[in-house]
Amino acid sequence: MSARIGVYVCECGPNIPDRIDIDRVLEEISPLKDVAVAKRYRLLCSNDGKKYLADEIRSEKLTHLVVAACSPRDHEKTFMKVCLEAGLNPFLFQMVNIREQCAWIFSEKSEATRMAVKYIRAGISRVTLHEPLLQKEIKATPDVLVVGGGIAGVETALSLAGQKRRVYLVERSDALGGTAARLGRLLPHQGTDMRLIQEKIEHAENNENISVFKGCEVEDIRGFLGNFEVSLKRSGGEPPPEMFRVGAVVVATGFALWDAFDPDVTGYGKIDDVVTSLEFEAMSASGKILKKNGSPPRSVALIHCVGRKEKGYCSKVCCLYSLKFAHQLKDSQPAPDVFEFYSDLCLPEKTDQDVFEEAKKRGVRFLRADDIRVEGRNGKIRIAYRDGSAEEAVEVEMAVLAPAMVPAPDSDRLARMLNIPLDETGFFKEAHSMLDPVSAPISGIYIAGCASGPKSIPESVVQAQAASGKILSVLMLGKTLEPEVKVSTIKEELCTGCQTCLNVCFYGAISFDAFRGVSVVNEAICRGCGSCVGSCPSGAISSKQFTYQQLFKEVMEALR
Amino acid sequence: MSDAYNPRIVGFLCNWCAYTGADLAGVSRARVSSSLHAIRVMCSGRIDPLYVIMAYLKGADGVMGMGCHPGDCHYLKGNYNARRRFVMLESIFKTLGLDGKRIGLWWVSASEGKRFAQVTNEFTELMKTKGPNPFREEMFI
Ligand SMILES: Cc1cc2nc3c(=O)[nH]c(=O)nc-3n(C[C@H](O)[C@H](O)[C@H](O)COP(=O)(O)OP(=O)(O)OC[C@H]3O[C@@H](n4cnc5c(N)ncnc54)[C@H](O)[C@@H]3O)c2cc1C
Ligand code: SF4
Ligand code: SF4
Ligand code: FES
Repeated sequence: MSARIGVYVCECGPNIPDRIDIDRVLEEISPLKDVAVAKRYRLLCSNDGKKYLADEIRSEKLTHLVVAACSPRDHEKTFMKVCLEAGLNPFLFQMVNIREQCAWIFSEKSEATRMAVKYIRAGISRVTLHEPLLQKEIKATPDVLVVGGGIAGVETALSLAGQKRRVYLVERSDALGGTAARLGRLLPHQGTDMRLIQEKIEHAENNENISVFKGCEVEDIRGFLGNFEVSLKRSGGEPPPEMFRVGAVVVATGFALWDAFDPDVTGYGKIDDVVTSLEFEAMSASGKILKKNGSPPRSVALIHCVGRKEKGYCSKVCCLYSLKFAHQLKDSQPAPDVFEFYSDLCLPEKTDQDVFEEAKKRGVRFLRADDIRVEGRNGKIRIAYRDGSAEEAVEVEMAVLAPAMVPAPDSDRLARMLNIPLDETGFFKEAHSMLDPVSAPISGIYIAGCASGPKSIPESVVQAQAASGKILSVLMLGKTLEPEVKVSTIKEELCTGCQTCLNVCFYGAISFDAFRGVSVVNEAICRGCGSCVGSCPSGAISSKQFTYQQLFKEVMEALR
Repeated sequence: MSDAYNPRIVGFLCNWCAYTGADLAGVSRARVSSSLHAIRVMCSGRIDPLYVIMAYLKGADGVMGMGCHPGDCHYLKGNYNARRRFVMLESIFKTLGLDGKRIGLWWVSASEGKRFAQVTNEFTELMKTKGPNPFREEMFI
């Protein structure tokens, strides 16, 4: 059967005829090979227009459709739906943009008309080479793997379990809760009830939809949105738990404190009673903030920003928890002298300024300091620092360091396994830090809490809830997923098995079939970017709807 | 047509940034040279070096690639592939004694309608000063 192409030029109200001589265009297009009809219509995207188009496809027995109208970004989907309803495969259709990139940008009507003809000819010449593609559906598992059982992981698990999802919560240590569960106190405006966090953990432990694996890590994971296969390993070499399948993965591995600081500068490990913030929290949780000799400190230095310069970013919560420590120290009887050594104060929340003002009122001294050195002197701790050009020093009995928050250990291993990137700070990289902050760049993988960078508890909880919401809207119970149709394929006869393409695909969609000696594209993972095509030295790869021949035709028309 | 020389330029535009930027140029009624014939690809990483060479040998006076700014590629890093390929193409052009200034890659974001118009117009002007691609006469069918 020979092709019967229908070409429809949309007027888009006055938009197109004002700037393009449509009759002239139709005159030039009509005689072209395989063009069965070439007509104009007022407004093809209107309900009448869509009905008209569907009727035309049927009555004219069209085998291919070209619509010359607005940008495909506006209405390509609309007309593909019309094709589907009229019984024409929607991929046997080509949209030609004669509005935005033609009618609206050329100064002369004659030029716009000439270019409209060229663009439509290009559309016609490629459309007969289109393949009727099929939208596939794949079964998806609604279950979810959460890696990391801190507050972010626990909250994610609870949100999903509340919607009847099975959640596998994998925590490497022997307890849930992460750092939040090990704090002695919360920030002043967060209240005093530490039980709230414990309750969340208990709810997660007792929830029948959540399988908690403590002392476990992910051994291996492979797959794609809707179908990941996961195996775990147990620290201590005990037999690993079963393998399971999930549809999505949430990375909630949190943070660790930077520990590579110089003992000669910070005194840590060399001078008694120089502790890290988490060691201070542990003392606070036990109710005893005491020096090594068992007596309460009469003066304490809180040193901010340890490692900020080295790491190159602000850890966001240290100023606040240092203020928390100051208030807590001032609550004890007798209250010690408290010095806050800061370089910049970060007080972003609406309640923070009050906490700061209140601390000043209670006699906490705020010292803006550079080049801080912690030295031991006669059993005391001497904090030497520079204030502008002046060299100053203060003597205290205890010093608390606020080290930078850094990614959890082995984040790089997990990232490699999941095939997702870390950013320059080593934290997990968001798909888009501004517009898609809880998604990893690979579909089906999400990031919540401090895994993507320093955050407070409420910020981590917000992210956990956001990630859960994303998963609930993508992996709907009983619904199948529709993977990208315009994927790349590798011609087995042409592939030499060189595996160049494997490294070019950022999604890990290509794997090597050692048995047959060729590479294959996993269509469920491929996003259709086409990057691999140009990398193949044998020209074995082709991307659907953007094949070599189709683009060649377009280039030839462009040069007419 | 008027006797003013109008070069033939083929442009490969990434769907997510440059193509959207070109649409925006239209929406804001920027004036763009009608020398450029735009071809939509999903990502600048899809610009197979073969097309650039083929378009040139078939008589294009200039070939433009346009993609998302570094870090903004919809498919993570396709534009870095494109960048490497254009660097490679330039040296291929040089080796073959062709004019490497007739091809190029530009970053144009979805919001840079003005920039799309500007780079296209500037490139057109440059091609005008260069005159027709010498291959046009020999090879063009
Ligand atoms: C000293 C200090 C005081 C703070 N005080 C406050 C405060 O008062 N209020 C406030 O809002 N915020 C405070 N914060 C910040 C708060 O601790 C964090 O916002 C919160 O802990 C982030 O939770 P998370 O779940 O993202 O990470 P984490 O608490 O770090 O939890 C991550 C969990 O994942 C596990 N894990 C890591 N890698 C893996 C892996 N590969 N496989 C399996 N499990 C893994 C870890 O063992 C851990 O249990 C404080 C922080 C510090 C350092
Ligand atoms: S680059 Fe081409 S030849 Fe090499 S493995 Fe991939 S498909 Fe095969
Ligand atoms: S088209 Fe893109 S996502 Fe698909 S296999 Fe090639 S490089 Fe990977
Ligand atoms: S999506 Fe625009 S360059 Fe890759």
